[in-house]
Amino acid sequence: MMSGRPANPPAAARDPGGASDPDIMSRLAKGDSDALGQLYDRYQQQVRRFLVQATADAEDVDDLVHLTFLAAAKIAGRYDGRLSCRPWLVGIAAQLLRRRRRAVARFFAVLSAATRGRAASLDPGGMLQARSDVERALLRISEAKRITLLMAEVEGMSCPEIAAALHIPIGTVWTRLHAARRELRRILTPGEGGAP
Amino acid sequence: MSGAPCPRQFEVEAMRDGRLGEVERASFGRHLTACAACAREARALDALAGALRSDPGRRGHADELHRWRERTRLLRAFDGSLVARRPVAPKASWAARKWLVWPVAVSALVAGLAILTKVRLGAPPAPPVLAASIQADQAAVWSRDSAPDNRERVVLQRGTLSIRVDHASFTGRLQVVLPDGELEDTGTTFTVSVEDGRTVRVAVAEGSVVLRLRGQPALAIAAGATWVPPGRSLPPIVPVSAPALGSAAPRALAPPPLAATAPPARGSRHRDPSLTDAAVDFRAAMALLRAGDGRGAAAAFAAFRFRYPADARAEDAAYLRVIALQRAGADGEVQRAAREYLQLYPRGFRRADVESLRR
Repeated sequence: MMSGRPANPPAAARDPGGASDPDIMSRLAKGDSDALGQLYDRYQQQVRRFLVQATADAEDVDDLVHLTFLAAAKIAGRYDGRLSCRPWLVGIAAQLLRRRRRAVARFFAVLSAATRGRAASLDPGGMLQARSDVERALLRISEAKRITLLMAEVEGMSCPEIAAALHIPIGTVWTRLHAARRELRRILTPGEGGAP
Repeated sequence: MSGAPCPRQFEVEAMRDGRLGEVERASFGRHLTACAACAREARALDALAGALRSDPGRRGHADELHRWRERTRLLRAFDGSLVARRPVAPKASWAARKWLVWPVAVSALVAGLAILTKVRLGAPPAPPVLAASIQADQAAVWSRDSAPDNRERVVLQRGTLSIRVDHASFTGRLQVVLPDGELEDTGTTFTVSVEDGRTVRVAVAEGSVVLRLRGQPALAIAAGATWVPPGRSLPPIVPVSAPALGSAAPRALAPPPLAATAPPARGSRHRDPSLTDAAVDFRAAMALLRAGDGRGAAAAFAAFRFRYPADARAEDAAYLRVIALQRAGADGEVQRAAREYLQLYPRGFRRADVESLRR
C-alpha cells in the first residue's frame, strides 16, 4: 500500500565498465583530477537537481554545484567507503546551502540595521511564477525543513543518513520531516493538515 | 477528509521514516490493511512524495554545452587548488633580493618603453596564443581570433577544417562559427565541412563537440561519430571505434603557420601520446580508406603526418594520402600531394610509385 521512499539507485555507484565510487574517491584523495571529472559526470545531474529544488534562487545553482564537488575533492580522503557517493554529495550540498543561508541572513541583518527598514525579502518573486504549485509550496517552508524533506523523499536517504549528513540529531530529522509535510499539505490543500 | 480519525494514524509517518521497530512495523502493517483512515493517510503521504519527485530534474537539467563548461570550470579550479597547495620555495633573503631590485626596475622600464613605442607606432598587437591546430583544405575560407574571455574563435565560411585542440594546455573554449550555426569543441579532434553556406559534415575523432544549428536543438557528437544533415547520404558514417577524421583533402597548411601556433600533439594527461594516439589515429585513417571514404582518409593521413611528423608511419601516411586522393578521383589534389611527398621524402620508399602517379 505504501510505496515508501525511493531507494538510492545502486546503478549510479558504478557505470558499466567504470570504476566504483570508492575507487574514484580514493584517486581523488590523491589529487587525481580525472577522478573528479568522473565523479562530476556521474553525479552532477543529481546534485544539481537537488540544489535546484532546494534553493529559491536558481541563479547560484551552478556555483553551488561547483562548490559541492570542490568540497568533495577537498575531503575525499575522509570518504567513508560506502558504495554510492550520492548521499554523501547531497549532504555536502545541503551543508553548503545551510552556510549560504546563514551568510545571507547575516547580510540582510546588517542591511536591515543600516536602513532601519524591512530587510529585503528572500521571496524569490518572479521566479516563483514559473514554478509548479508543489515547487511554490516547497519554497514557502523553511530551507532547513525543505532540505530535509527533499533528502528523504526525493533523494531516498534514510533518516540516519540525513542526520549524519546535516550533523543534526535524528530526532530533529523526524521533527523537520513531520513539520515539512504538515506545512506543505496545509499550503497545497487548505483545510487539511495531515496527521497531528 | 471524511471518516473518523484513527488513533494510530501518526504511525503512518513513523513507519515511513523508519521510526518503528520490527514488531511495531509488522503490527501496523496489518492494521493498515484494515483501517481506511490510515490507508488514506498513507496514500496522501505517497501522493505528496510523488509530487515532489515528479520530474524533479526538469528545470535542473543543464544542456550538454553548459555541463561541459561547468565541468571545465571545476577541473580548472581543482587544478588551481593543487597548484596552490604545492610548497613554495623559501623567500630569498633581503641581502639576496636587493641585488635584484635594479635589474628588475631597469627591465620594467625597458619593457614599458618598448610597449609604448609599439603602441605609438601602431604596431600590430602580438599574435594571441592559440591552442587549436588547424588544417584546412584548399577550398577553405576561414579565419581565427581569440577573445579576452579565454575563448578562441574560428570562422568557417566554406571548405573543410580538421581541428585539434590540446586541452591539456588549453583550458578555454574553442568555438567554430558556421554559416548556419556554431560548433563548440568539448573534446580534442574533429573535422567540420561547409558547402554553399551549410554545414554538411562534422566528424569527431576524439572527445566530443556540440553542434548548434539555427532553429535546431543542440546536438552532441561523440568520438567516432560522423554527423551529416538529414537527407544527405554522402559521405557515409564510418563505424570505427577509433576516431575518424573528416573529409576533404588538406593541402599545404593554411594560415597561420601551424608549426608556429600549434603545440605538439599531446594526449590526455595519463596517456603516452606517442604510443597510443598515433596508433589510434593511423588505424582510424586506414579504416576510412578501407571504407572507401577517400577524402576522409586523405584528411586523416594529412592530420596524422602533421601531428606525428617523427612517427615511423609519417611517410606511409604521406604516401597513403596520395593513394586516398587518387581513389577519391581528386586528380589535382593527387598531384599536389604527390609533390609534397617527394619534397618531404626525396629518398622515400614509395618514391617510384609516387613518381609514376605524377605522370
